Amino acid sequence: MKRWKLCLTALALSLCLLLPAGCGMPMEGGGDSYDIAWTLDDIPDYAGEPYVVLNDNQPEFSEEYMTTDSFETYGELDELGRCTMCWANIGVDLMPTESRESISSVKPTGWIQNQYDFVDGKSLYNRCHLIGFQLTGENANGQNLITGTRYLNVVGMLPFENMVADYVKETENHVLYRVTPLYEDGELVARGVHMEGYSVEDGGEGVCFNVYCYNVQPGVEIDYTTGENWAADADNGGDAAEVTYVLNTSSKKFHLPDCSGAKNMKEENRQDYTGTREMLIQQGYTPCGQCKP
Amino acid sequence: MIAAVCLDDNNGMLFNRRRQSQDRLLRADLIREAGDGPLWLDAYSAKQFKEAPACLRVAEDFLEQAGAGELCFVEDRDLTAWAGKLEGLILYRWNRTYPADVRFPLSLEGWRLARTEEFAGSSHEKITKEVYEK
Repeated sequence: MKRWKLCLTALALSLCLLLPAGCGMPMEGGGDSYDIAWTLDDIPDYAGEPYVVLNDNQPEFSEEYMTTDSFETYGELDELGRCTMCWANIGVDLMPTESRESISSVKPTGWIQNQYDFVDGKSLYNRCHLIGFQLTGENANGQNLITGTRYLNVVGMLPFENMVADYVKETENHVLYRVTPLYEDGELVARGVHMEGYSVEDGGEGVCFNVYCYNVQPGVEIDYTTGENWAADADNGGDAAEVTYVLNTSSKKFHLPDCSGAKNMKEENRQDYTGTREMLIQQGYTPCGQCKP
Repeated sequence: MIAAVCLDDNNGMLFNRRRQSQDRLLRADLIREAGDGPLWLDAYSAKQFKEAPACLRVAEDFLEQAGAGELCFVEDRDLTAWAGKLEGLILYRWNRTYPADVRFPLSLEGWRLARTEEFAGSSHEKITKEVYEK
């Protein structure tokens, strides 16, 4: 059973985003949750990896929230109707006990859906949970769903959600977990999400991360002001040379043929490919972080 | 020496010096796999085994100490330097993706897949166990 649920006020959230480093955000329930508020100016441009590590992977939760009481909070929509910061202390008592319900009634800001053959599932956008369903069981909560690319949802955020969910289920400990969408000025689609996690009972020994996940889709250009999107021109940029790669059709990674990741790949997921790197990226594949093809 | 390693869908092992995942039933399978022999591991891995079964042999240089045919649970060590000593490999695949900054470093070229088993974990729908022999 869920212990408590808070709604942040838009005012409080605005303060959080405006305050300089070291200034916290006053919150219902007392105290400050943020010691540092990250902005897009602090984030490097997307460079082919779904996420980038911030602050040496050390999250920035205030000490007073290191509690063994579960809670979940979903920030109120801002004046443009956009989702804001959501955070929780994930415990097994918050996790879903029933099947996921439809969330199609929610239309997040910037929701201009298009289909692309090279996107997994074809639809560019997902209603992307800020706090994943597997963690707190939230269904059609408009304060927890943003317009996110398939790549953000599955390649960027899901691995972190999986890691937290497994840890909580196995240890029955708590994980402080915060997801903050970052927007450029008045844009309707977030440029990405800032994700932090910290396991409470063991002082971060089990879970400890601080990352930013990019809301991009390789091969697609997005107008973040409106959410409009279109296929990137294959002739613009990229290496046009044809090279042989090994594809993992499950993880959507591509490897050099002599990479250990290629050699250890399950046969059913393996596909040999000769062509341009750019075309692979347009098809939703990302380069292996080990062999860096 | 036989090394048992847990891997995600991208052959990931660790993120930020922490294991990607864990599972009680996988640990029970490791104990079974060790049989009457020892299960070698370091203190980081041993901490998961709350009941500390008698077969555990905890040492920071466990890869050096493990003898012929003995099982090692390898979570946060680079096996590259020990490849020549390996007689067998057990890969437990989580069938999930997690963030990773350390991946399994060895090629399976030259290894024979002797058997594959699948079982439900305590928090994983399906864990695939692949046993390789030279």
